[in-house]
Amino acid sequence: MATTAEVARSVALRCENINRWFGGLHALKGPDLAIFQGEIFGLVGPNGSGKTTLVNSVTGFYPPQKGRIFLFDEQINGLPPYRIAQKGVARTFQNVALFRGLTVLDNILVGRHIHMRPSALATLGYWWWAKKEEMAHRAKVEDIIDLLQLEDVRDEPVDVIPLGLQKRVELARALAAEPRLLVLDEPMAGMNQEEKEYMVRFILDAHEDRDLTILLIEHHMDVVTSICHRVAVFNDGVKIAEGEPRAAINDPAVVAAYIGGSDAA
Amino acid sequence: MFYRQSGIYHTRYEATRRLWPIPFERWQVGVILLLVLAAPFYLSALYLQSYLLPWLIWSAATLSLTLLMGVAGQLHFGYAAVMAIGAYSAIHLVRFGLPFEFAFLGAGLIAALIGCLFGAAALRVKGLYLVMATLAMQYLVDWLIINVPAISGGAHATLQAPSARILFFSLENDLVRYYFALAWAVLLTVFLLNVKRTSFGRALVAIRDKDYAASVIGVNPFRYKLLAFFTSSFLGGMSGAVLAFCFYRAVTPEQFSFNVSTQLVAMVLVGGLGSVIGAFLGAGFVLLAPMILTNIVAMLSDFGWLNVSVNLLSHLPLMIYGALILGFLLAEPLGLAKIYDNIRNYFLVWPFKHSRR
Repeated sequence: MATTAEVARSVALRCENINRWFGGLHALKGPDLAIFQGEIFGLVGPNGSGKTTLVNSVTGFYPPQKGRIFLFDEQINGLPPYRIAQKGVARTFQNVALFRGLTVLDNILVGRHIHMRPSALATLGYWWWAKKEEMAHRAKVEDIIDLLQLEDVRDEPVDVIPLGLQKRVELARALAAEPRLLVLDEPMAGMNQEEKEYMVRFILDAHEDRDLTILLIEHHMDVVTSICHRVAVFNDGVKIAEGEPRAAINDPAVVAAYIGGSDAA
Repeated sequence: MFYRQSGIYHTRYEATRRLWPIPFERWQVGVILLLVLAAPFYLSALYLQSYLLPWLIWSAATLSLTLLMGVAGQLHFGYAAVMAIGAYSAIHLVRFGLPFEFAFLGAGLIAALIGCLFGAAALRVKGLYLVMATLAMQYLVDWLIINVPAISGGAHATLQAPSARILFFSLENDLVRYYFALAWAVLLTVFLLNVKRTSFGRALVAIRDKDYAASVIGVNPFRYKLLAFFTSSFLGGMSGAVLAFCFYRAVTPEQFSFNVSTQLVAMVLVGGLGSVIGAFLGAGFVLLAPMILTNIVAMLSDFGWLNVSVNLLSHLPLMIYGALILGFLLAEPLGLAKIYDNIRNYFLVWPFKHSRR
């Protein structure tokens, strides 16, 4: 099946026969997926087609009841979410999930958690046991703030800044974890055209700057077709098409899923 | 009005993360520290021993509880039981022959272990159910202390704090007791202030605000909830020991009853959840307001300005006190700390109100 070019690249994420039920609802009906290292991989499909469920399976929220998930050939299904995060998966959420009691800067610093050694004792002796580490990680966070142009709002509490910026802060927090696989769940939902263009630019910058593999769920087809290397189209828990964005989206099965084809009832 | 932020430029990350980045506020803290250090020399023994000392100790206890309730967001309605474990452990360990320093640490450790035992069971549940679980701890510990003579010396018994020395100073001395309590309060203050700028504190806030987002960024929610319980109970137990040795000098189970737990929760809430200055303001308010109100009401009736029955006279301070708490929380749900913050921010830019972002 795989061409020689694909074999040469290592697979960042491989999902095999993922099944997930919610009570009587069969949300994922055994799709397979392989995302290559360095790829921006789009996941599209109508509402309720199982995109977010798949992402939740990968990040450990809803572990698949059947099937296996590999991150760089290491099986990760069954691990709790924080263990999967430590393996190098970071994500953003469809509806922003920032820590409202913290400033923008502190939110991004939480992203460094897996690289730090938090302890109550070090907190007591901050000047001797924590300061150096804090400052080193602050410098790394400042690089991300610089990359995503968040300097102006650095010290603001997150709940007072506009949604577009909040989504950018969430991206920054995910980037701060230095993930090998970044999962973006509708990063442009609820944004206007300008904010959308900014976000696309930031995603491309981050991809280039940090050598990332990105799994992107997005409903804006213009975004998907212009930045994704490959896409998979989901409908009703099954993968109905996969490949180069324009080809996949014009696939008759996909058109049928979205607007109803001649064979659809 | 008194000082401004303008003209203060930080050029290093360390400088922006100082405890008080504004120089004037560092002076303020220094002056307050000098005032409390010198308190024994200008305050009468009565004020020192019955107002300032309990204020410091209860502030320390409130700081330990606000780490759990305010920073980590885990409600605890049985905190007096944690302090009781600390107080009784310290006394028994000293009686057993341990030096006070070790007994003090041991008291914290025992309180932390028992607190964690309940914490681990309780952390499977959230919110109101956690309140119920911690209430169960309160009543269980109360019952054990009262009914096991080996701990309390029998029902209705008073357990005298044995004489002990801290470093080379005897705790029989009023001054030593005051300075020991002060040192403990300062240590806890420093700890809580540092919590706000380290990865440990950020992880606690993360599980408080959005536990699923915290876990997806690599914070183990269960571990950090348990750590919060452990650390807070450790400090609470030690605060209980300080209370027993420096203030009460003799402990009875009633001193750590459920009423005290609610009072501690009130201190945290009135002061402001998770705030350091709020812990001091809240403890001060809950502790001192009833006393001051009683004095005022008594004074008014002495002058003949308050012609009410004796019965009402004794209840009036409590009624005003309750109304004040309600009033404060209605006006500013984030407590006295937020009121202080509002005033501070107002004067920081006064009279150029428009320049505030």
